[in-house]
Amino acid sequence: MIEYIGEHQLVGHLGQAFISLSFAAALLAAVSFFIASKNKVLEIQWLSLARSSFIIHGLSVLGIIGCMFFMIYNHYFEYQYVWEHSSLSLPIQYMVSCFWEGQEGSFLLWIFWNIILGAILIKISKSWERSMMAIISAIQVFLSSMIIGLEIFNVKIGTSPFILVRQLEENLGLPWTLMPNYLDIVPQFLDGRGLNPLLQNYWMVIHPPVLFLGFSLTMIPFCYALSGLWKKKYGTWVREALPWAYAGIMVLGTGILMGGAWAYESLSFGGFWAWDPVENSSLVPWIILVSAAHLMLIYRAKKTSLRSTFVATLLAFILIVYSTYLTRSGVLGDTSVHAFAGGLDYQLLVFLMCFVILPWVLFFIRLKEIPNSKKEEDISSREFWMFIASIVLFLSAFQITWFTSLPVINKVFGTQMAPPLDAINLYNSWQTPLAILIIFLMGGVQYLRYGKTDLKKFFTQISLSLVGAAVITFIISYTVKMKEPLYLILLWATLFSAISNVEYIRTILKGKLKISGASVAHLGFALVIMGALLSNANKNVISQNKGFIAQDFPSNENILLEKGDTTAMGNYFVCYSSDTLIGINKTYEVQYFKLQDNGEFNYQFTLHPFIQLNEIMGNVAEPSTEHFALFDVYTHLTYADVDEHNENDPYHHESIINLKQGDSVVYSKHFFFLDSLMVNANTDINSDKALDVMLIAKIKMQNMQGKFTSGQAIYAVKNNIAQSFPAFLNDGELKYKFLFSEVNPDAGSIQIKAYEHIDNDKPFIVMKAIIFPYINLLWIGMIIMALGTGMAMIQLFKQKKTPLALD
Amino acid sequence: MKKTEIILILLVAVIIGIILSLTFNASTYITFVEAEKFMGEEFTVIGELNKEKEIVYDPYINELTFYAMDSLSNERKVFYYDAKPQDFERSEKITMTGYSSEEGFIAQTILMKCPSKYNEDQHLVEDETIYPTYD
Repeated sequence: MIEYIGEHQLVGHLGQAFISLSFAAALLAAVSFFIASKNKVLEIQWLSLARSSFIIHGLSVLGIIGCMFFMIYNHYFEYQYVWEHSSLSLPIQYMVSCFWEGQEGSFLLWIFWNIILGAILIKISKSWERSMMAIISAIQVFLSSMIIGLEIFNVKIGTSPFILVRQLEENLGLPWTLMPNYLDIVPQFLDGRGLNPLLQNYWMVIHPPVLFLGFSLTMIPFCYALSGLWKKKYGTWVREALPWAYAGIMVLGTGILMGGAWAYESLSFGGFWAWDPVENSSLVPWIILVSAAHLMLIYRAKKTSLRSTFVATLLAFILIVYSTYLTRSGVLGDTSVHAFAGGLDYQLLVFLMCFVILPWVLFFIRLKEIPNSKKEEDISSREFWMFIASIVLFLSAFQITWFTSLPVINKVFGTQMAPPLDAINLYNSWQTPLAILIIFLMGGVQYLRYGKTDLKKFFTQISLSLVGAAVITFIISYTVKMKEPLYLILLWATLFSAISNVEYIRTILKGKLKISGASVAHLGFALVIMGALLSNANKNVISQNKGFIAQDFPSNENILLEKGDTTAMGNYFVCYSSDTLIGINKTYEVQYFKLQDNGEFNYQFTLHPFIQLNEIMGNVAEPSTEHFALFDVYTHLTYADVDEHNENDPYHHESIINLKQGDSVVYSKHFFFLDSLMVNANTDINSDKALDVMLIAKIKMQNMQGKFTSGQAIYAVKNNIAQSFPAFLNDGELKYKFLFSEVNPDAGSIQIKAYEHIDNDKPFIVMKAIIFPYINLLWIGMIIMALGTGMAMIQLFKQKKTPLALD
Repeated sequence: MKKTEIILILLVAVIIGIILSLTFNASTYITFVEAEKFMGEEFTVIGELNKEKEIVYDPYINELTFYAMDSLSNERKVFYYDAKPQDFERSEKITMTGYSSEEGFIAQTILMKCPSKYNEDQHLVEDETIYPTYD
């Protein structure tokens, strides 16, 4: 047994103990909630055991989180998690994000939210508590197993966040792990690898917790539906699940768009959405959740479509588990830029299979018993069109999932398909028509009544919005020159939907905000899509490089700016004026001007795109955006020379030249000669400076015009110390430095190190600039949608409390 | 026919459409040699950067040229008309979509795979020889 020096083992042991406890307590809670829900004998005792176990589970998870923060905060780099995700220089706010950068931390975040929601359910769910909590506790058992870090019969279960670097499988038995003082000897342990530079952004501090809360909220309707199947309460669960479904829509939707905001602000692909598999796999459960929530409303009002409601509600959470599998098992590897690394694939597959198979088995066993109305809905009824909308949402989700699952399809069918070459356009060409349908329905269906509607009245009510929207579409398409017919129809749909929802609140609901949650949310969604459409379809790459001939090449979209020069770009003139290094960020100042009629430049604004220097993970370019009310100017560096120059020595780009007397070489568009080499040695043997020697190299440069410049580089040895005095040669503006660095007596040659002055080539950056028009509509829409869904949620919670409340 | 049936038929039709759409639009992973049989046609090639040979980026015409080897170790010069991606030299695998020409492979998009975190961990132990052994 080796006594390791400097390791902080206590916190790790404590954390590991908390992990074991939380796993065991979740298991006990699941079993005892299960028994309490079945058994009439000792029911109360089992229930209180179950509740206490769940509370112990919750407290031990808090303990795990506390231990992890303690480790990260105190920089215990002997721990794998701390070493891999944090560093000494990490600011405190990003210590929070490094907590969920890794697999283990993000599972903990999910577990944490489930505990909070579980605690709320214990308090408020009354007769549903036992079955609900049995399912939630079972899910907690699965999730806790992802971080338990056990090995049973050579099967690795989970990875613990408390494993030490020396305990990693690949390090076991290595010589340094056997040294008690390895922490002092191995230099790698002085600092951690640090947080991925892409995640060092404030959006990354709030986006993951919001997204995971959305995941947890999606679990609740799932548990209600499953409890309903299990306890044969086929219809009553809907009322319970409804407000939770809307809470999920609000939080998950906000979380997804926050991810978009992060991508727009700190990634350099130029936009907020790229149909990347990681983005898609959180969008799909949201779409299905929206579909499920609307089916629940149909059931609540008309007691129809119950089977579809079950399917959609179960599917929403299953898709979350599927998305976890996709993004964390490593299966996406080749198709996504930011998928997590693998490691837990088999365990995740088991988790997925349990949640795919078990609920459906139960569903098909009970299918015959689930009430199913044979009556057909009237074509003029609200429920008919809401049902259609749910189907369209399902199709939209199906298309995204199917395309995202390409690597999985390849695995299952043994095919070798590569992602489509123009995937983004393919996604858009499927999603645009589906979005048009959804958004038209979103604007019109609320004017329909449940049951039967007077269609004449309906058309009078919506006609004004339809015509008004068409007029505005025409005006906008004329001003922004949008021609694509499908996009024009989508624009018309979003405008119609926005206007008709505002009209609905004004005329039908008489401005009563309490009950207008749905209309507000629909208005918000219409604005989100309108903003996405206008900003993307009309985005204008103003950094077009018109000098280049090949039309479709992306090189067209970049502009080269030399320091200090002012160049025309779109409506602007831009100037790269300076660059500064602050901490780890090398920031470039790009000034924007407009040319006035009098020929003078009028300063507009300055953007500061920067490059985050990171030696370990690679440098990351981050864009900079100027926001205006009606458009954004987005700028990002596609290329910049980040080498730092020494203030005292402005010479760089070292080249080594070996040459003999009389030789000439070509160097930096010049002929370079060694004219002569003189040796000045002290030959007086009796002198104490007997060995002092001085070598003088006379060098000469000739430029293309034949003009010569010359100088001498000196190499001296004095008191046994070698010193070199460089020669500075100037050819007009071009400046060079030559250092006599070595004598090679065997070859009879000398070595000269040549340097160019940093001003010889002007510093430059290559950048891309894009104007995104009306992108603010997207963010405003997002806020309105979240508010509207929140209002609907509150209203639904209130209705749940009053048992006989009418719709 | 009942409305439900019509809806069901439409639903199934669109689902089939989506499935076929992916199959028809999917690209194929091929080698440089295969791509050269269909010059000018677009394909996806997964290759590896030859770090021994020169990687030249000319910012004035925004052209990046490098040498890459496909899965069967055929080496080709690749032209990419966009800025050099950050940390291009560190890439392990490069997924290139583009087409073959007389000059070489013209890449339109490049997706790089950098060494994953898990490989990076092993770098810690690669230099084990530099640490004194414990006896």
